[in-house]
Amino acid sequence: MGWCAEVMRVHLAVKPLCTVQSVDRHSVKMAMRVALRCVSANFSHKGPRLSHLPQISAALQLRRTDLTRTLSTTSQLSTALKFTDKHEWVQVDGKVGTVGISNFAQEALGDVVYCGLPEIGQKLENMEEFGALESVKAASELYSPLTGEVTEVNTDLAENPSLVNKACYKEGWLIKMTIENPSELDGLMDDAAYEKFIKSLE
Amino acid sequence: MVLRSLCVLRAQAAASLSGLPAALLPGGSGLDLPGSGLVLRSLSTDVFQNLALEDWIHDNVDLHSRSILLLWRNSAAVVVGRHQNPWQECDLRLMRRSGVPVARRRSGGGTVFHDPGNLNLTFFSSRKNYDRARNLRVVTGALRALRPGIDVRATDRFDILLDGHYKISGTAAKLGRTAAYHHCTLLCSADRPLLASLLRPTCHGIHSNATASLPAPVQNLMDHDPSLTPESITRQLAQQYLAEFGSGGLPVVPVQPSDPAFGGIDRAAAALRGWDWTHGRTPRFSVDTALELADGAAAATASVHLEVKAGRVEACRLAVAPEWLPGGPPARLAARLLGARFCPSEAAAVAEAFLRAEGGGATGARLGARLGDLCDKMVALM
Repeated sequence: MGWCAEVMRVHLAVKPLCTVQSVDRHSVKMAMRVALRCVSANFSHKGPRLSHLPQISAALQLRRTDLTRTLSTTSQLSTALKFTDKHEWVQVDGKVGTVGISNFAQEALGDVVYCGLPEIGQKLENMEEFGALESVKAASELYSPLTGEVTEVNTDLAENPSLVNKACYKEGWLIKMTIENPSELDGLMDDAAYEKFIKSLE
Repeated sequence: MVLRSLCVLRAQAAASLSGLPAALLPGGSGLDLPGSGLVLRSLSTDVFQNLALEDWIHDNVDLHSRSILLLWRNSAAVVVGRHQNPWQECDLRLMRRSGVPVARRRSGGGTVFHDPGNLNLTFFSSRKNYDRARNLRVVTGALRALRPGIDVRATDRFDILLDGHYKISGTAAKLGRTAAYHHCTLLCSADRPLLASLLRPTCHGIHSNATASLPAPVQNLMDHDPSLTPESITRQLAQQYLAEFGSGGLPVVPVQPSDPAFGGIDRAAAALRGWDWTHGRTPRFSVDTALELADGAAAATASVHLEVKAGRVEACRLAVAPEWLPGGPPARLAARLLGARFCPSEAAAVAEAFLRAEGGGATGARLGARLGDLCDKMVALM
């Protein structure tokens, strides 16, 4: 195919953490419970601190903004994908983001033979390496598009890593994570902007 | 005396640095190098330092308009790919006895044996210029220049075969955010008997989705032609690389990874050397096997099931015939192994504590001997 000479602009950076393991249903349920607990904990933490007067209004302001943001997110039930310039996509559903790689990326990668993904509970920083995809071409690192905590890992990829190639937007998703700083989403590209971005690379 | 030694060391460091273009160092001066190719040769023979040096160059050097070839050789080591299982790839027990370490690289691919008779080449480039076929043409071109008519060909898996049959080079690669590296081995005069004995896995019954190696018959280039020494090949490779990638007459630059100019390499090498990376980074796997037990007079079989995650025992089941051993002790041994590293020294410590705990009181000599034997066989598994 001549895939040796293609333009490689897939910015998938990775630090190998833990690999995909076969997580049983119980662990998945536990993880969901943890994720839900995180969400409820976030609400309680955003309450105003009564001990310091000047900070109350700021805290209230923060709380109000967050509530507004959360309300608008849930009311939209947004399923639109947002893209990074490293060819990852994030799909937001409430306070959880699903992360995967784009079609452009999976094509550039070649056949994925192994997915090295983090453990549930792993805390990720925006732009931090969180895993690696090994394809016939190379080990390619994955960079986290957001700051948050891993709540779910796609266990189907352990037996079937080629899902990343076959269904990169659906069954080939990589991880789900909490979204600690929703403002980070504002820096990502929507579908149209990403299409334009890819065209500029060719 | 100490002062004088320090002066000598500093002078040596300066000498090895003087050949390095300033632009190679972090925050480089933006010095315009004539041509875009550069050849470096590592002065270290420590596999962990050299792997750390690779990562350093990848992370710190501006490769947008420059390509680098790093040449390096190590003392004996077995190097597994990023997502591989060392228990499945080599004879870890023999390696421990022989003092040969296992290293895990950050690139993908399979397991290889390194020793001073094996030459390692790392081609650094931007992601845009990542081209393994082009890099391997440098290698085959160099070999043909040294030995006209030699039959060396790159396969579509990017191995290099001699005479269409013997593997003399294997390839692996890593793609980062903006840069990439492609490295490969080249067998010149490696210790083939040692290679064969070490790359023979001894832990059986492993179920894992780790990336597997594809064994292949190998040959040393020096066996084919004694003039193909690591030194002569190194010289020709450098020439060929600079001809292909453009140089403007720069010499091959020796680099010492332990030089302070490469900040953090020692720390990175230590992390690469650590068990948590070399063994602990193994994808989860299970072991299902049988242990042959004996007490000198009779024999029995025990079945073992182990689950290992991040190099530690996550689950352990031991089934021994009740006429050989009562159910209690094997179950207690299995419970003690939970959380321990899948590693003989740690397992031996656990076994020792277990035997001490079981040994007191009513355990007869025969039972004690059988328990000891069970422990030895469990430890030998790892």
